[in-house]
Amino acid sequence: MIPATEVRHVAAAYGLVWVAILAYVIILNAKLGRLERQVDELAGMLEQRMAGDE
Amino acid sequence: MSAPTVTPERPRIDTPTAVTALACVLMAVALWLVFFWVPNDAIDGFRQRIFYLHVPIAMTTYLLFVWGAINAARLLWTGDLSLDLKSYVPMHLGTVFGTLTLITGSIWAHTSWGVWWYWGSEELNSFLIIFLFYCAYFMLRFSIEPGERRARYSAVYALLGVGLIPVSVAAVHLAQNEFHPIVFTDRGAQMANGMLFTFLVAFAAVFTLAVSMYLVELRGKRLDERLADLRRRAAGRA
Repeated sequence: MIPATEVRHVAAAYGLVWVAILAYVIILNAKLGRLERQVDELAGMLEQRMAGDE
Repeated sequence: MSAPTVTPERPRIDTPTAVTALACVLMAVALWLVFFWVPNDAIDGFRQRIFYLHVPIAMTTYLLFVWGAINAARLLWTGDLSLDLKSYVPMHLGTVFGTLTLITGSIWAHTSWGVWWYWGSEELNSFLIIFLFYCAYFMLRFSIEPGERRARYSAVYALLGVGLIPVSVAAVHLAQNEFHPIVFTDRGAQMANGMLFTFLVAFAAVFTLAVSMYLVELRGKRLDERLADLRRRAAGRA
């Protein structure tokens, strides 16, 4: 029989690493969102300039 | 009349995607081996399974710091500033993996020794010193304006820190105390073949995960720099 405290500790160690990886993916996703907004901003500037040229 | 410009098509599965997929497969295999295949340790019992997570993460931390220092040395040698990000990203990931090493190590210490931290252990203290040294890297880096000066100062600091790693590894072998277990000695790995196999798969999984995180983060930072440059140019011409 495996002691419950040992199971809790092992689960905590593996669980925390999973949470850290998940947090990393969430941060990366937020960063991608920011980059997407910057691309939209650039596209808007390009459209404005093209409209000005016409 | 000029020929139309043809943009080369990017491959559908690029290197970061392939490495991330490999990391997922290796991680799944490693978890199966750890929880369903490898037997309990004769002395440490079930809790020894933290070893298959803690040690690969600690070894990957060292490798990331070494990789960052190698790129820092290349930057200083060649003056190629594009190596700055290749030095910074491993340092950043190294501190993430270092934090995980300290957390998983503390959990293992609590279940084995009954304490979260043991100040009498040279191995723990030397790792903490390296970790704190690299935490200070970010304070230095972000206190300087972006540019050549920041790249060079950061590179020198990254290079200085890597000298602490052999000291930490030597401390593990010289300490000879009864607390922190020493598995890898001059006589090889002190564990059964099944345990060694599980450890090697777990190490491959964690290392591949770190490589995939490195490639993805590097790609994001480069994209960030290119976009900032494009915005500056677009704003300048408006």
